[in-house]
Amino acid sequence: MQTERSSNLADGLIAGAPIVLGYFPIAFAFGVAATGHGLTGWEAFGLSVIVYAGAAQFLALALVTSGAPVLVSAFTLVAMNLRHVLYGPALMKRAGPVATRRHAWAWAFGLTDEVFGAALGQLARGRQFSEPFMFGLGLAAYASWLSGTALGAYAGGGALQGWPVLEAALGFMLPALFLSLLLSILNRTQLPVIAVAAVATVGVTLLWSGTAGILAGMIAGAIAGVIGLGGRDAA
Amino acid sequence: MRLEVLTLALIVGAFTWAFRYLPTRADISRLPQGGPLARFLAATGPAAIATLFTASVVPFVQGGMPLPLGLGSIAVLAVFGATRSVVGATMAGSAAYGLGVWLLPPG
Repeated sequence: MQTERSSNLADGLIAGAPIVLGYFPIAFAFGVAATGHGLTGWEAFGLSVIVYAGAAQFLALALVTSGAPVLVSAFTLVAMNLRHVLYGPALMKRAGPVATRRHAWAWAFGLTDEVFGAALGQLARGRQFSEPFMFGLGLAAYASWLSGTALGAYAGGGALQGWPVLEAALGFMLPALFLSLLLSILNRTQLPVIAVAAVATVGVTLLWSGTAGILAGMIAGAIAGVIGLGGRDAA
Repeated sequence: MRLEVLTLALIVGAFTWAFRYLPTRADISRLPQGGPLARFLAATGPAAIATLFTASVVPFVQGGMPLPLGLGSIAVLAVFGATRSVVGATMAGSAAYGLGVWLLPPG
């Protein structure tokens, strides 16, 4: 359990360590892939600075290099990021009624999947919500993402070709991070919600697409919570 | 930076920011405890993380690498169970996965 004192920026930076470790190799891989797909280093870095959404950025590479129209590509990527609308209310609900959100316009820019998961894990372990803490958490993750992208773009396409084991290990960093985050918030009452989300994700991914599977998993799991599978008084 | 890449980044970046920020402004303070919306929001976190983990693992399962995937997952479970450290578990899982790939016979 964490102490009950208010969390500050430094607490957020420290809590962001797992994300830093998880993001850097993935961002590095993105930088390598982007330059390998013919983007300049600045274009790769610009995507990370402005979009800051890993899966969407990798998909953007495929769309840009396939010559898809900009609006079609934008619509696809926006739809892929739609899941983020669920995070703000869920986080604020967990943070409690006294949580301030005056500067949310700034820290919410960094409310990625992993930052949301890490924030929720910290709150579940007794951490008090604060905006400086959210800034710290987001800043650590963003800095890691940008520096990884820059280094990957600098290394250039094919930088990992001679290191297949390292490439494989880096590729498993994100699933390992998600599993760790899941374990950090796990409690017995939410197991049915988790099971429903997992089954829906696999089913819809296999039948339709990965993006649809992600949306379906989140919505199915949340609906399972509404009908009481996650406990009647879950908070 | 090409104009098409910049345009794409700006459109997607603006929508993504809006998706992340605007819902934080929703007034949820008057939600009744245990009500349907409160339960929906409470379940969203575990559902989202379970979904993202599942979605990130599916390609590994489809790729037919059960040994590395098993080693990586077991390492995450074991290290998290022993240390409660997200950092340690993530690093151990990644290292164990790499070890599994290294142990696999080539081809």
